[in-house]
Amino acid sequence: MAELNLSATSRTPAVSLSKAASHLKIEGESYPEDVNGFYMPIMQAVDRYFADGKESLAVEIHLIYFNSSSARALTELLDSLEGHAANGASITFKWFCDHDDDITREFAEDTAMDMEHLKIIIADMTRDG
Amino acid sequence: MEFDRFHQFGSLLLQDDFVLSYSGYVTEDILEAVGATLRQRLADHVDSPRQIRNVFSIFVELMQNVIRYGTDGPQPENECGSKESFGLVMVVQKGNCLDIMSGNFIVQDDAEILRDKVAFLNRKTPTELRTLYRTRLRQPPEANSKGASIGLIEIARRSSIPLQCDMRYADDGLCFFMVKASVQGAS
Repeated sequence: MAELNLSATSRTPAVSLSKAASHLKIEGESYPEDVNGFYMPIMQAVDRYFADGKESLAVEIHLIYFNSSSARALTELLDSLEGHAANGASITFKWFCDHDDDITREFAEDTAMDMEHLKIIIADMTRDG
Repeated sequence: MEFDRFHQFGSLLLQDDFVLSYSGYVTEDILEAVGATLRQRLADHVDSPRQIRNVFSIFVELMQNVIRYGTDGPQPENECGSKESFGLVMVVQKGNCLDIMSGNFIVQDDAEILRDKVAFLNRKTPTELRTLYRTRLRQPPEANSKGASIGLIEIARRSSIPLQCDMRYADDGLCFFMVKASVQGAS
């Protein structure tokens, strides 16, 4: 499947990968019991998305919390997207960070610096309520 | 357990202004349940979203370390024969600060390595910790590697003061290893 529609759980984010909308959205919290079991299918779906001939993708990450294992998995996902971008895919990447969460912002900034083809935009997450 | 000891246990707890205390076998289900309780307690009693985030992050990393690296300790195996780590996790209010502590049994050699890792991290500046974290992200997680795990680095980064740790030697080549992190509130 090159599409995904996972509902959020208390420990995993909602994930939606849509060919029609050309977007990948990851929203919620991430500290799953089995990090690879959660993120591997997402990376595989993204690979199939591009293998099926799609040329562009808009990625948005809205994570209010993610643990260190998730950070590692997200890095793998980003490396994979970097690979697709290097192969000619047009990928925009927006990372929403809470304005007072320095560590997440630093993670996004450091990851952005490691990317050559993938352009990562860091945006402010507005807090509801 | 006799009532005297049970009462002692409760009294010990009440000597501090505790936010949350869990003592028992630590599993992923427990992490989820205790984590949800901690979130609620923090939302009710703590003003600073930043402090809440850092305390919760440290709590998750500490609990996951107990689950992954703890051994059974002196307690017998449970009825299903599965291995569960016995551990203590406590969040205590101290003035403006929230202390997060964890304690669990690990093999003595591992305890000494862990103590050295904590000392290693405490010598780093925030910038150096940031760089170390970034480097470790792409390295495979190895339980007994010499470098500090990203979980421990994350705890060190989110703690407002250097991490504290201590250990008590136990039977069967085990050690009760304790870690304390501290997060300041808004000044």
